[in-house]
Amino acid sequence: MANESNESPVFAVKELSVKYGEFRAVRDVTLDIREHEITAFIGPSGCGKTTVLRCLNRMNDFIDSAKVEGLIEYHGVDLYDSDVNPNEVRRRIGMVFQKPNPFPKSIFDNVAYGPRLVGKMSKSDLNDLVEKSLRRAALWDEVKDRLKASALGLSGGQQQRLCIARCIAVEPDVILMDEPCSALDPIATTRIEDLMQEIKKDYTIIIVTHNMQQAARVSDRTAFFTTEVNTQSDRRTGVMVEFDLTQKIFSVPSDERTEAYVTGRFG
Amino acid sequence: MVNAGTYDLPRFINREFTQGADCQDMNRLAHDELMELRSELLRVTASLVESIPRATQILLDQDLEGAEYQILADDEMDSRTLDLEDRCVTLMALHAPVASELRHAVTIMKMSADIERSADLVVNICKVARRIHGMPLDPKMRGLIGRMGTQAQILFRHAIQAYADLDLPMAKAVDDMDLFLDYLHRQFIESIFESHSAGTIDLPVAIQMAVTARFFERIGDHAVNVAHYVQYLITGEIPPAGDHRRGGRLSDSTDEIEGLPA
Repeated sequence: MANESNESPVFAVKELSVKYGEFRAVRDVTLDIREHEITAFIGPSGCGKTTVLRCLNRMNDFIDSAKVEGLIEYHGVDLYDSDVNPNEVRRRIGMVFQKPNPFPKSIFDNVAYGPRLVGKMSKSDLNDLVEKSLRRAALWDEVKDRLKASALGLSGGQQQRLCIARCIAVEPDVILMDEPCSALDPIATTRIEDLMQEIKKDYTIIIVTHNMQQAARVSDRTAFFTTEVNTQSDRRTGVMVEFDLTQKIFSVPSDERTEAYVTGRFG
Repeated sequence: MVNAGTYDLPRFINREFTQGADCQDMNRLAHDELMELRSELLRVTASLVESIPRATQILLDQDLEGAEYQILADDEMDSRTLDLEDRCVTLMALHAPVASELRHAVTIMKMSADIERSADLVVNICKVARRIHGMPLDPKMRGLIGRMGTQAQILFRHAIQAYADLDLPMAKAVDDMDLFLDYLHRQFIESIFESHSAGTIDLPVAIQMAVTARFFERIGDHAVNVAHYVQYLITGEIPPAGDHRRGGRLSDSTDEIEGLPA
């Protein structure tokens, strides 16, 4: 494989399986996420891509029935070790959701929310941080004159960029994005995609997307997931089929299930 | 990494993959169009393959009427290959093909250009028949022209057969077949020098024969290109240009002909 580096990966996922109660949602996922790369997860609904994404910052902790098996190492540390503080995990590994979800507060307070929680900051430091975060999220010029206005008055695309600004205000290491553009129009989508390219030099990004062309446009590597049907129980379980350079997934995939999915045949 | 053999690519290209009862084809319009482009490319190439021995015979017989017919027929070849390229661009613009379909659309587009150029070379050979009209060719040269025409046709037939059957070994074999055409090309040039020394060839005829040899040799090169794109379609990798020549067995210096600049 090209671009193979000896650097240790940000995430080393080994034989990850997730069960919701008795139902096995996804099984045997093994992949390495590299630093300063955008990794895309693609696949049909129910293939477990969002489940895997949510494992990476322990969001599945909030679902009582969810049981995570296998190993997820984050910079060499077992993410699910009992010594690991899940709040610290989520500060370092931020998340942007499908639907923009700004707090019903002012634009400024949305971005300042995380830093205020994490630690005491002087007023001027906080102002600087909010400006820096909004600039990085390519939103500053649009909102600098109305920082006290409600975030809910922004357009969908602006709200999503605000969520990204809020996410990067706490200076995370990784940003997880769960279909960040599916509620946005093409222009807003393009802005988010540009923004991802812009900020990937500072962060490692993992994006779940239903839009294959988006994965092709923005990501360096792509993991393709699909579902396998257990004929006895008629239950579907997600599996990772192929993980490779995006260019390869979309030009010369090596598994016929990937070929079938990306060319629009499915069944 | 070569993916040939990893899975059954012909099933995708021939759309057998979508014939299962539980398989849906979400992109049927694009898939239908790609199948039509493939059929049309095969038809156009069949015309070309048929025209190569015809042009050879026209040249040997100095058949002016046949030459005229063949030259006029090129307009149709031009418009059909151009149409193929246009439709590939449209397919890419509207359906953004990926994976084997992207490779297939690229392959058809590139092959169309090689086929169009080869058809032009066939026309060039027919034009030579006009220019040397009434001037006799010596038997050895006639024999070599016949063999070059045959070999050029064999190359193209195998290249396009490899495409029709998605046959990787056959596509690779075209490289070796081209070595023989290059060998004939050299022999032909040598025979021109021999005839010149023996005083049996006029300068205008010698020049026309030298370019004719080049035309056949070029048709072979286009067939090699076609075969290379078949390899690309199957494996995702284009063999490096001129790679096969380094392993040439029929001569050490395939590109250089004694007495002529390379």
